Amino acid sequence: MSGQGLPVVKADPAYSAGLLDALLQQFAWVQNPVVVARQLLAGVSNGMLLFLISAGLSLIFGVLRIINFAHGALFMFGAFIALSVAALAPGTSGSYVAALIGATAGLAVLGALLEMGLLRRIYHAPHEFQLLLTFALVFIFGDVAKLIWGREDHSVSVPQALGGSVQALGLTFPAYRLFLIGVGIAVALGLWLVLHRTRWGIFVRAATMDRAMLSALGVNTRVLFTTVFALGAALAGLGGALAAPIVAVGPGLHVQVIIDAFVVVVIGGMGSVIGALVASLLVGIVNAFGVLAFPGLAVVLTFAVMAIVLIVRPWGLFGVPE
Amino acid sequence: MTRSAALLAAGAIALLAAPLALSDFWIFIAIEVLAFALYAVSFNVLLGYGGMLSFGHAAFFGVGGYAAAILVKKAGLAAGLAFALLPAVAMLVAAAFALVIGFFSVRRAGIYFAMLTFAFQMLLYTVAMKATGITGGDDGMTGLKPPGVLAKPFAYYYFALALIAPALYVLHRLVSSPFGYILRALRANARRVQYIGVDVRAHQLATFVITGAFAGLAGGIFALSSGNVFPGWLNWTASATPIVMAVLGGVHTFLGPALGAAVYVVLEVLISGKTEYWPLAMGVIILILVLLMPEGLTGLARRKSA
Repeated sequence: MSGQGLPVVKADPAYSAGLLDALLQQFAWVQNPVVVARQLLAGVSNGMLLFLISAGLSLIFGVLRIINFAHGALFMFGAFIALSVAALAPGTSGSYVAALIGATAGLAVLGALLEMGLLRRIYHAPHEFQLLLTFALVFIFGDVAKLIWGREDHSVSVPQALGGSVQALGLTFPAYRLFLIGVGIAVALGLWLVLHRTRWGIFVRAATMDRAMLSALGVNTRVLFTTVFALGAALAGLGGALAAPIVAVGPGLHVQVIIDAFVVVVIGGMGSVIGALVASLLVGIVNAFGVLAFPGLAVVLTFAVMAIVLIVRPWGLFGVPE
Repeated sequence: MTRSAALLAAGAIALLAAPLALSDFWIFIAIEVLAFALYAVSFNVLLGYGGMLSFGHAAFFGVGGYAAAILVKKAGLAAGLAFALLPAVAMLVAAAFALVIGFFSVRRAGIYFAMLTFAFQMLLYTVAMKATGITGGDDGMTGLKPPGVLAKPFAYYYFALALIAPALYVLHRLVSSPFGYILRALRANARRVQYIGVDVRAHQLATFVITGAFAGLAGGIFALSSGNVFPGWLNWTASATPIVMAVLGGVHTFLGPALGAAVYVVLEVLISGKTEYWPLAMGVIILILVLLMPEGLTGLARRKSA
């Protein structure tokens, strides 16, 4: 999810050529507050969407110890469900709210079914089998999406209530992006509350540290695993539904999205929700500005950073070293 | 003659005689089977023998393919010379990448090793997509042809066989040698092997480089046969292919993955011919494999004969 392409504001051509001058040209936009504000907003709102996917992915890895390659597909289904529900009454708030609820609940159910029906059978299998299973889901879900919704990309209209702009500090901001940030903050707070103030949350955090001990203490880890996966899927679904008005909703959506999510989970630390939040915002903002400063290199940079983190500090910023 | 020796002899005869009985299209598929067999067997040396699950083996297959393509199309050499250098170049370039990637990756174990190989493969993917001048970017490189008579599938098949059969033999000698036995011990208990004085990291790195080199050879051979290379060869979804082939054939035998490759390629050709939903079919096959047939085809065969 890169930031919007904007023309680079050129520096004064009276400067003579040189590396410093080239750098100044690349960063000339820094002087332009409209550009900076717009990219910052895009970066933070993209970061919030990324957080919704990554938080689920990270929790699933922390508790179930499974790298869910199909998580991007869950996000994609959320977007498609939102597409179908919103299409019933396009542009209205009612259909949009219904779309959000439908995507979240639908994915929670799908997640629970996947965990109970498939994942549960391979917890004790060698890692390559778990990997293959989630890969299989990627292939299957991609084609299922094609079968149900067709091959082309669709668009979802932003609900009218959120379609305008907001004026602040002498600048204009798209209201929908502010809405995304608001939802992201709400979800982050909600997750924090659940993880730190409920029994279930304590079990989840304990499971990321020592599953065997948790089970030995008498906690029903089977149900815990199912609910964690369902929550992760629900978050991905919500993320997809929220992203639907601003991305191209097509059967290829899941392939790109999972990559960004992996980068975030690696940087933030597998199993850490706060890590997912910090890393998502970081990646979102760096991407938004990276596209301005180094248009070609931004993507390469992402994987370079991922590799560096894995080499130097593989458990990420907030993860637990094993 | 032992049963396995008889099987091998039969297989060798079948491989040598195949082009006489097949149409050009199926010879083309047979070449693909050979290349993917080497690819899958090299991957299994890493996984089945070495216990190292790499999410990034497709990187070396792709690098070999691109090296071959660039050599043939952009190096400005005479067609015959470029082609003669192809196997060595594909292997050396892939080995070089494997050396760098492996150096960083083997320092970590398990899941971090896997994610590192994944990250490096995606890095190469983005480079392949962006460096349009060298790699053709999004469009990849097309129109790759072996020179002269080798452009005919019949001849190219024997060329491929002449490279791949010795390659498989070398890999087999490798896993049967002291090096190979240390590798198997590493899979079982790396710490213990370290205590008897073996440099674990060096051993793993060497294995990584060798298997990467052979994957590169397979990629180079396939690129010239299919006539093109695409960045998609380096995308993360391509990482599944060697794993599927190895597990399908059975990771506990040396040639199991080769069988898996044959079945995989033939299934893909047959199913893709009937429907565009090959990924769906492949996903279902993988599910069946993982849930019902974890030992793969050779495991099934062994159970039947037991």
